[in-house]
Amino acid sequence: MKKNILKKDHVRPFLRKLARDSRLIAPVRTSHRDLLYQEIESIDSAEIDLSEQPQESAKQFLFPQQEQLFTYQNTSKGFTFSPRKSGMPTVLFGLRSCDISAILYMDVIFLRSPRDHYYLEKRRDTIIIGIGCNEPWDNCFCNATRTGPFLEIGFDLQLTDLGDRFYVESGRAVGDEILEKWPQFFSPVTEEDEKLRYQLMLEARSGFKRHVHVETAFQKIADNSVSPSVWEHIAKRCDGCGGCAYICPTCTCFTIFDRPLSPHTGERLRTWDACTHDGFTRMAGGHNPVNPATDRLKRRFMHKLYYDYKQFKRPGCVGCGRCVGICFGGVDIAMFVDMVCAEKRDQRQSAAVIGDLLVEAGLITRKQLSEALEKRDRTGMPLGSVLMEMGIVTKEDIANCLADKVERL
Amino acid sequence: MMETGTMRENMRNAVTDNVFMPIETVISEIIEENSTIRTYTLRFTDRAAAFSFLPGQFVMLSVPGHGEAPISISSSPTDTDEIQLSVRRAGRLTSALHSMKAGEFVAVRGPYGVPFPVDELKGRDLLFVAGGIGLAPLRSLINYCRAKNREYGKITLCYGSRSPSDIAFKNDLDAWKADGSVDVRLTVDVPEDGWYGKTGLVTTLLDDLSINNSNTSALLCGPPVMIDAVISKLKESGMDTEKIITTLERNMKCGVGLCGHCHMEGVLICKDGPVFNVKALENIMGATG
Amino acid sequence: MAGLATTFGSGAMTNSINEITGAEVIFVIGSNTTEAHPQIARRILEAVDNGAKLIVADPRRTELSRSAHIHLQLRPGSDIALLNAMMRVILSEGLIDDAFIEMRTENFKELRKHLLSQDIDKLAAVSGIPVSQIKKAARLYAGAQKGVICYCLGITQHICGTANVESIANLAMLTGHVEQAYTGVNPLRGQNNVQGACDMGAIPGVFPGYQPVSDPVIREKFERAWGQALPSEPGLTITDMTHRGRKNGIRAMFIMGENPVMSDPDASKVEETLKGLEFLAVSDIFLTETASLAHVVFPAASFAEKCGSVTNSERRVQLMHQAIPPIGECRSDSEIITELAGRLGYTMAYENSAEIMEEIALLTPIYGGIFHDRLETSWGLQWPCPSRDHAGTPYLHKYSFARGKGRFVPAENITPDELPDDDYPFILMTGRVYHHYHTGAMTRASDILSREVPEAVLEINSDDAREKGLRHGDMVSLRSRRGEIEVRVKPVDTISRGMLYVSFHFHESPVNRLTNPALDPVAKCPEYKVCAVNLEKA
Repeated sequence: MKKNILKKDHVRPFLRKLARDSRLIAPVRTSHRDLLYQEIESIDSAEIDLSEQPQESAKQFLFPQQEQLFTYQNTSKGFTFSPRKSGMPTVLFGLRSCDISAILYMDVIFLRSPRDHYYLEKRRDTIIIGIGCNEPWDNCFCNATRTGPFLEIGFDLQLTDLGDRFYVESGRAVGDEILEKWPQFFSPVTEEDEKLRYQLMLEARSGFKRHVHVETAFQKIADNSVSPSVWEHIAKRCDGCGGCAYICPTCTCFTIFDRPLSPHTGERLRTWDACTHDGFTRMAGGHNPVNPATDRLKRRFMHKLYYDYKQFKRPGCVGCGRCVGICFGGVDIAMFVDMVCAEKRDQRQSAAVIGDLLVEAGLITRKQLSEALEKRDRTGMPLGSVLMEMGIVTKEDIANCLADKVERL
Repeated sequence: MMETGTMRENMRNAVTDNVFMPIETVISEIIEENSTIRTYTLRFTDRAAAFSFLPGQFVMLSVPGHGEAPISISSSPTDTDEIQLSVRRAGRLTSALHSMKAGEFVAVRGPYGVPFPVDELKGRDLLFVAGGIGLAPLRSLINYCRAKNREYGKITLCYGSRSPSDIAFKNDLDAWKADGSVDVRLTVDVPEDGWYGKTGLVTTLLDDLSINNSNTSALLCGPPVMIDAVISKLKESGMDTEKIITTLERNMKCGVGLCGHCHMEGVLICKDGPVFNVKALENIMGATG
Repeated sequence: MAGLATTFGSGAMTNSINEITGAEVIFVIGSNTTEAHPQIARRILEAVDNGAKLIVADPRRTELSRSAHIHLQLRPGSDIALLNAMMRVILSEGLIDDAFIEMRTENFKELRKHLLSQDIDKLAAVSGIPVSQIKKAARLYAGAQKGVICYCLGITQHICGTANVESIANLAMLTGHVEQAYTGVNPLRGQNNVQGACDMGAIPGVFPGYQPVSDPVIREKFERAWGQALPSEPGLTITDMTHRGRKNGIRAMFIMGENPVMSDPDASKVEETLKGLEFLAVSDIFLTETASLAHVVFPAASFAEKCGSVTNSERRVQLMHQAIPPIGECRSDSEIITELAGRLGYTMAYENSAEIMEEIALLTPIYGGIFHDRLETSWGLQWPCPSRDHAGTPYLHKYSFARGKGRFVPAENITPDELPDDDYPFILMTGRVYHHYHTGAMTRASDILSREVPEAVLEINSDDAREKGLRHGDMVSLRSRRGEIEVRVKPVDTISRGMLYVSFHFHESPVNRLTNPALDPVAKCPEYKVCAVNLEKA
């Protein structure tokens, strides 16, 4: 794929060309000094700022917070449903590696069968121009999720900030087309540019301030060694506000509802939803299969760190760190991973062995074991004593079980 | 994630079927099953839009202005080109539906979900266990098997209701009894005057049966507590968990695996279910303890 | 408000919100902080993560109490007993801050005498908390270098609200926990601009900046600026208007952004008063229960459609910018007021809200240095900010109290106005839930929020529920001497027997038809938090 140099002075003229036939989205410093991805209405007056991670991801441009699916009209002869056309050519400029990785994740969710029509309409004509991160921010951990600070694939063009100029590499045919269409802005890469870029990438990788051991957490979840006290702590701190899901670039859950516009017309909308909301799984009539908050939080973190890992060999988290800043209770995903990794292993494992032996021997059920483990974590009593106190096994049962095990060895 | 080149190709060539668009139907008949359950017969206003389905599948039912809800199809595909939905009044949408009359319009999209394994069940005796509205999806399968009676073994139904006046689907129960196609057994939680049948949980009906475990499949649908009790009873009696089949109910918004509401331990009930055999369910639930 | 004015001389949070994070001990009393003030709760939890100790006094086992080191589950309306008991322990065990009391306060002798006359076992019995727990809490709070108290409507919405607050101030002064960073007494304000409304004189008896109408010098200053003779007598309180309006000679009312038919105690009475008016005008962003009684409704612009400042709990004046032009016929509050004033013959000509802010600065010493251009480039300024070159005041009473010396005001425990009896054996407490705001005029219009919490829920102790034959989801009719409502019950273990709790957001279960309009004699705040009720299955 092609590599070029783009002088910073030429960025604005280049964007002007790109914006001629497309909607242009870029990180903009607002009048209140926020940094947000925004649609650029005027290239000359917008303060496009590539110096930091924007406060929100670019999720909303492909999967808006609220989106009309169709309008309905009700007559005596029946219904008319008119779907909304929502696609238009779009250039997403200045996206961070985490935000591009999140789009690749959304592609998998929305474009596997059956495809999400509304996402597809917008995604299909979207060009992605990313920028690698020379310097990770305080809460970033994309090194742990393997989604940055620079990407190998997923972008049409990727920029690297070399000071007064950008190193530009293309990742797909579309990127090549762009470079070929406006050659006047680009010059060849020198050996010095290559060296500098390599150096910057190395420095970026070693510049992470947080070390979030996502893969260790996955292993520990897979080994079933997250103690109930971790879930308890998190649930106690969660207000169910949904902030983590709304800010998360990979959270794609939504709900659908109708909004009447007149007695005979209305629209069907979808909006972002959050699995930490109590009403997310509550059914008509009031029964809720995912309750209480411990179950909801478990479901949230397991989805990102375990099920997605199993399915895609990567977590459903791109390490952007935005949930760290948003949570009122301080129970973001990085904190969860830290908590899981900090747990002592040894004692848990020996307990797990006794527990498993008893299950294998058919003396207790899995459910009884998990109840007992929970109680053990709550009371600090050894597992065997807990099981005896619960009246499920006797001392002899445990002794026999261990003896069998020794014999087999 | 997924390789992006192919994804892009797929996007370019995609036929953009919009799964969210409902299909208009007209209510041709309403049967009052009990005080809270009604069965709606829906006819597609555009015959060409009618779809084929198998027992156990569901549709997303729209009452525009009130939203959508997942409802399992309670008629058999062998019946007609109409579909029937049996709906219990529980929330906003179902209350709106219950206030509608024949001749009015609603809309559906589907069919969605994994159906009952009708081929695997061939040649086997079928034990249906249902509680309340749980008979709706099983009704579809029962009538399907009756229509193809040579292909299936003996059909038994154990059906629990809260009280005698709550017993739903009386027309069906009578018809099944009358032609002898189904061995119908009823029980109620709370008896009323004039009730001479069984009283107690639906599990008590199982005690009277002699089940040939090697050639019987069980199909369960009802409240979670009932399902749990029946499963343990059948397991106790030695039935293979792979032969115990149930269908789950969850809050669903899209029905096609996108919205995330029905996610359970890495599985999407709308797409990977709602029909599961108990062995598969135990694997799913046991994945992480 | 009034309680801190008599003791400290200023009725606002003494600290900044961020200072909470640095406290060693945090004592939360009468505040369901996690649900009502999540941004404050966030700081409290951060402090706990940093090693701070948390004491929560609340009749309910709130979410925050689950993170507390000590939870004092007191009887509703027994705050003074608890606080006096804590002070008694501190006094007897010599944990008082002698130097602080000596230098900065007055009237300590009275407090000392009062405390020595109190019997700790009796106080403990009144509050329903074991003596040992009270001692633990008292030692923890008094022993810290940096101790913060946060309180809210659970303290003020009682007939003894002012005395409750004074007792909190007593406790803080006794231990020297005021006048420093990370240390102080903090009333949490419910809304983004309640502080601002009080600051601007929306209480009877004061002009903006708490300048009394009775002071002739101050009155003259405002008369000169406004070109109008101004009254020297305080105006009426809300309940004087909404409950005794006719008696007080009120024939017409203009209500802005309030929904008293839902939010005021004994709400049927309010409805009666409003219906009896010759003329009622209401300005609101939605057609609320109150607005639908009005002869004229002014559609008001929402926060996003107008520009102006708001003042939050920590006295921080912040600028809010207009994001979108007003939709439809709606107008900003200031436009509605100035237009109305003009039609009534008094011209109020301001170019924009910045000019209004200039007038505030001119007439209000504590806002003297606050101008839009200064707010534009900052996260706001905390009053007092007397001049343009003043950076604002993160915490109050540095070096000395606003009133000079802090004054100890001893208090006896005052039992709630209405106690349970045979006819009405339960105590009903009212409050909020996380997902809804006030009377739900805004939040209930959000689909997700109304899905989360679609209706009012009456919390009842599960043993009481069992005795009454009530199951989760049953509808009950809830009666007090003033009215009756229907509401769904939820048996819980988070409140003691004999207590009930319900939120007031839902017009289908208008709980303020039941609440008691008995007032605190000073602050005129009604006793929302305690009334006697009975219930039976509907």
